[in-house]
Amino acid sequence: MKKQIVTKLDPISLEIQWKRLVSMVDEASAAFVRTSFSVLVREANDFAVVLTDAQGRSIAQSILSIPSFIGTLPATVKHFLQKFPASTLKPGDVMITNDPWMGTGHIHDVNIAMPIFHKGKIVAYAAVVSHMPDIGGRIRNAGIRDIYEEGLQIPRMKLIRAGKPDQNLLDMIGQNVRVPEQTLGDIWAQVAACKMLEERLNPLLSEIDIESLGAEIRRRSERAMKSAIRAVPDGVYHGRTQHDGFEEPIIINATVTVKGDKLSIDYTGSSAQVPRAVNVVPIYCFAYSAFAVKALLCPDVPNNEGSFTPITTSAPLGSIFNPTYPAASGGRGMIGHMMVPAIMMALAKVLPERALAEGSSNSSITVTGEHRGRPYAAVNFMNAGQGATKHRDGFTMLSFPSNLSNTPIEVFEQMAPLRVIERAIRRGSGGKGKNKGGDGLRFEVEVVADTPMMASMIMTRYKTAPQGIFGGAAGKVGGLTLNGKAINPADHWVLNKGDRVVMETAGGGGFGAA
Amino acid sequence: MKAKGTIRIAVDIGGTFTDGLAVLTPGGRIWVAKTLTTPRDPGEAVTTVMADLLRQVAGVSPNVTEVVHGTTLVTNTLIERKGAKTGLIVTQGTRDVLTIGREIRYELYDLNLEIPQPLVDESKRLEAIERMDVEGQVVQPLAQAEIDRLMNALQGMDVEAIGVCFLHAYVNEAHEQQVEAAIHKRFPKLAVSISSNIAREIREYERMSTVAANAYVQPLMAEYLNRLDTRVHELAPKAPLRIMVSSGGFTSGKAAAETPILLLESGPAGGVLSALNTARNCGIDQILAFDMGGTTAKACVAVGGEPLVSHSFECARVARFKRGSGLPILIPSIDLIEIGAGGGSVAHVNDLGLLNVGPESSGADPGPACYGQGGTGATVTDADLVLGYLNADNFLGGAMKLRRDLAEAALGRLAAKLKLTTTDVAWGICNIVNENMAAAARIHIAEKGHDPRDFAMVATGGAGPVHVVEVARKLQIPRVLATIAAGAGSCLGLLAAPARVDRAWSQPCLMKDIAWKQIATAYEGMRSDAEAELKSAGADQKIIKWYIGAEMRYAGQGHNVSVSLPWRNVSKAMAPALLQAFETNYRQLYGHLVPGAAAQVITWRLTGRSVVKSHKFTWGDTRASSKPVLRGKRDIYLPLKKKYMPVPVYERYSLKPGTRLTGPVVLEERESTLVVPVKADLHILPDYTVSVTIKEF
Repeated sequence: MKKQIVTKLDPISLEIQWKRLVSMVDEASAAFVRTSFSVLVREANDFAVVLTDAQGRSIAQSILSIPSFIGTLPATVKHFLQKFPASTLKPGDVMITNDPWMGTGHIHDVNIAMPIFHKGKIVAYAAVVSHMPDIGGRIRNAGIRDIYEEGLQIPRMKLIRAGKPDQNLLDMIGQNVRVPEQTLGDIWAQVAACKMLEERLNPLLSEIDIESLGAEIRRRSERAMKSAIRAVPDGVYHGRTQHDGFEEPIIINATVTVKGDKLSIDYTGSSAQVPRAVNVVPIYCFAYSAFAVKALLCPDVPNNEGSFTPITTSAPLGSIFNPTYPAASGGRGMIGHMMVPAIMMALAKVLPERALAEGSSNSSITVTGEHRGRPYAAVNFMNAGQGATKHRDGFTMLSFPSNLSNTPIEVFEQMAPLRVIERAIRRGSGGKGKNKGGDGLRFEVEVVADTPMMASMIMTRYKTAPQGIFGGAAGKVGGLTLNGKAINPADHWVLNKGDRVVMETAGGGGFGAA
Repeated sequence: MKAKGTIRIAVDIGGTFTDGLAVLTPGGRIWVAKTLTTPRDPGEAVTTVMADLLRQVAGVSPNVTEVVHGTTLVTNTLIERKGAKTGLIVTQGTRDVLTIGREIRYELYDLNLEIPQPLVDESKRLEAIERMDVEGQVVQPLAQAEIDRLMNALQGMDVEAIGVCFLHAYVNEAHEQQVEAAIHKRFPKLAVSISSNIAREIREYERMSTVAANAYVQPLMAEYLNRLDTRVHELAPKAPLRIMVSSGGFTSGKAAAETPILLLESGPAGGVLSALNTARNCGIDQILAFDMGGTTAKACVAVGGEPLVSHSFECARVARFKRGSGLPILIPSIDLIEIGAGGGSVAHVNDLGLLNVGPESSGADPGPACYGQGGTGATVTDADLVLGYLNADNFLGGAMKLRRDLAEAALGRLAAKLKLTTTDVAWGICNIVNENMAAAARIHIAEKGHDPRDFAMVATGGAGPVHVVEVARKLQIPRVLATIAAGAGSCLGLLAAPARVDRAWSQPCLMKDIAWKQIATAYEGMRSDAEAELKSAGADQKIIKWYIGAEMRYAGQGHNVSVSLPWRNVSKAMAPALLQAFETNYRQLYGHLVPGAAAQVITWRLTGRSVVKSHKFTWGDTRASSKPVLRGKRDIYLPLKKKYMPVPVYERYSLKPGTRLTGPVVLEERESTLVVPVKADLHILPDYTVSVTIKEF
């Protein structure tokens, strides 16, 4: 039977065709996760796979991806197309970049995109973004002052030209990272995932018209998002929170304007950009703003251009949410994650049923060095207490708004010469309230390395406590000590055998007076 | 008339029904029995079913030589949280690990998600001052005074079972064993599970969760198995009781009582073995086993006549189909994935105005609208009825009458919402649920590095044969097999199961650094222990095959690749074979090797199992007639024609081996219906399997 291209889509055919595309994207992402070297990809889903239409508008995004990548990858595809117009692309071309402004907000994520051709025309793009095992430079740390310190920058380039890999570029990357076989291995895995998506999509292109399918999905997603926004009373709402900062705190000031079926968030009044690695480029600012709106208003609507059309974000140039080159941004999540509580606090007054008190995003420890003559590098994430809602206590030590799992003690000790003395709940650290805030973590390690260990600790909420709402108390702040003495997480530390580091994460805020 | 021969019986306790099946050797004639499951005393239904079967076969042979049992009891105990009061002893500093888990959300956008609660209350966890390092070297010895302190603390604790899980016990079990011995001495009646026995694998949270779950279900299962043994003995004094485990083998009642967590997927594993047996009879070695019942649909990839076995599993999920919402369990288990909510899946219109099916299920009560028990949601079963795939008067052999009017009313309500016809919606539900199942199967197959087009699909379960042809078409699978007595599929599988034992221990090490002498000694110990277990399960040592397995990866990667070699002398000489097997499997999964990367063994495995024989079954009573019985013609919905057309409906029992039919056609049996809504060639094989070759995609 000859197959006809379906262009008229009823609610059933659309569901079926779309489901098929989503399952292909998930199929490619399953293959990618399994082959990746990066701990962040394997354990924390710090990657995304997306299929876009010929204009770079997303059709389907892998389900597992973390919020940082909401909407970034389709934007990256469009950024590639500005430099490499579609008319110049050939089958077998693969593009690459880790430019924070073009990609996902920090150079540790490498973005790969590949055109998919059908009958000589580009009909779609496959794209994969992934957090690299290493990108050179100094170890990721908030104290880094500009992008040059952060590592290797890859502007928008062609990694593969009509099927022929650029060996110069590959050699260049390999020379600039600590674990070349792993970083290059992950880049190849990204390319393989794009090719798999192409191979799976090909047989369907004779039945599915990507263009009209995408248009219909966008139309319906946009309508659903708009109706969710319309349910919020019109008004201008303010939310303000602050990050521990360095010499002084960093202010996150969100003004949420709801007007009819549109919602805009402006970050005027937030701090200026800082010579530290916590600047948030606009692409990432949008990703986490969109996450907060979606989680609060309509969690089930899919991520695509349609559902985001009604949402806009803005910030003055030179501010922490719209920094200029060469701002460093490796620890962008530290500030980016705090946009979520700022938006939630702003909308709490009109959405008390759904509001969430403040919690804290993750902290982490990264160590490198040599032990028994072998190099090692390992990272472990520590999550914190989350805010209470009207319906329940805050979660104890749960990753939010990102989604990063801890590394098992037994695995961490295999990877690095450390002994974990304790991984425990910091009881009583959550804020009191009608519903209590969730408790944070106490994590203590002892160094057993035979040569000095380089360590970098990223701490969140160690000065500014997560606030409660509607009379709920604030949670306790986190803390960092080395052999019992408080130390500055903005510095790099050299640790010696027998040294003990204690990291404590914050408790979440309570809901309602106790 | 008395025939010579012996009888083997299989009994499978499911959520709603307890199924039983007796088979005569030689000849393979089968008899089936079914009764409602008796949740308060599940053994009661086993007795009922066995007595029924014994009555049926009384005239043939009274000589019962074996009873094989599968049960969902362990799963249900965990889901319903009806296990023992359980305590846990862990390494100092890790008391909260069971509560902390992995700190991730299984659903990104749900601000109020439900987190699975640990099986052991925080007040019932003790910390021991002791410590091993990653190599199993003692960093902090476990002092006698510390053991005494722990025992005193246990004294005051109200527990019926206790789990012990120390850091790095997968390399060195000494401290766990010391504590176990002390508990046995001081509290002889307390059930003890130690992690180095239950799940000797790296990752403390997952191992702790497994040992806690084992302890949690152990007192109940030990009592159940003990009583069952007595009951079976009364009915069939000469028949040893064998218990099906998740890995697709059987073990003795005694071994099962010690490690009941191995029974987690005991029943569902039977369905896969039944599918495999059918495939073996047909000479097919790559299959997708597809089992669809009233509340769940599952799939499993099997290559080379072997089901894929996974070594981690998740049970008692608080959110259906959400990975990460359950309790992790590290046991060898046939790699079955849940791909749908079965015939009871309810359709609805989502936020985007699109028709969705599931994950909500109407369950058995109220059930689909057509059951007439008050269900109003339109389910897959309602759609199947309206599309003509099910016969309202033949459901469960006519024991249950289906109400087409109620099904149409339920579908009509959705149709009005979507501004479509009832037929559109009925076909839409059926098509969407098929697409969902195909999508889940496609990802599962991809994760294993295979291509669905190379597979044949084998259907079991009540709804499996109804949907199998359409799911196969979506996966571009040209050949479909429907086994004999699909409704009692698990039982057939239990009877076809080999004896099997698995052992494992984690000892992460680069290939080039492996201390082979130490590994060889460890294997010797494991093997003699495993041989003893197989012996107690009644397996003939001569027909046991042994395999050396390893979970391997490139250093730095997070996922393992399983490797298995036939038994050989464990020494450095096997290193090249191991590496080669790893590279072959790695390439199969990922298409390429990683240049310059170092291979590493994470976990060693030992598997022993009896040689798998193929079993051929035939109907026990003489149902086959001299020629196919055509029940008539019925209008069914043909998806490629997009309309209803009359197709022939045959009684399946009347179809003898060698019979050939062409699709579209419907074959009805008591517990199931095979629907072929497209052009296809059908052939009844010598083992009564229906083979369908699809002719249009």
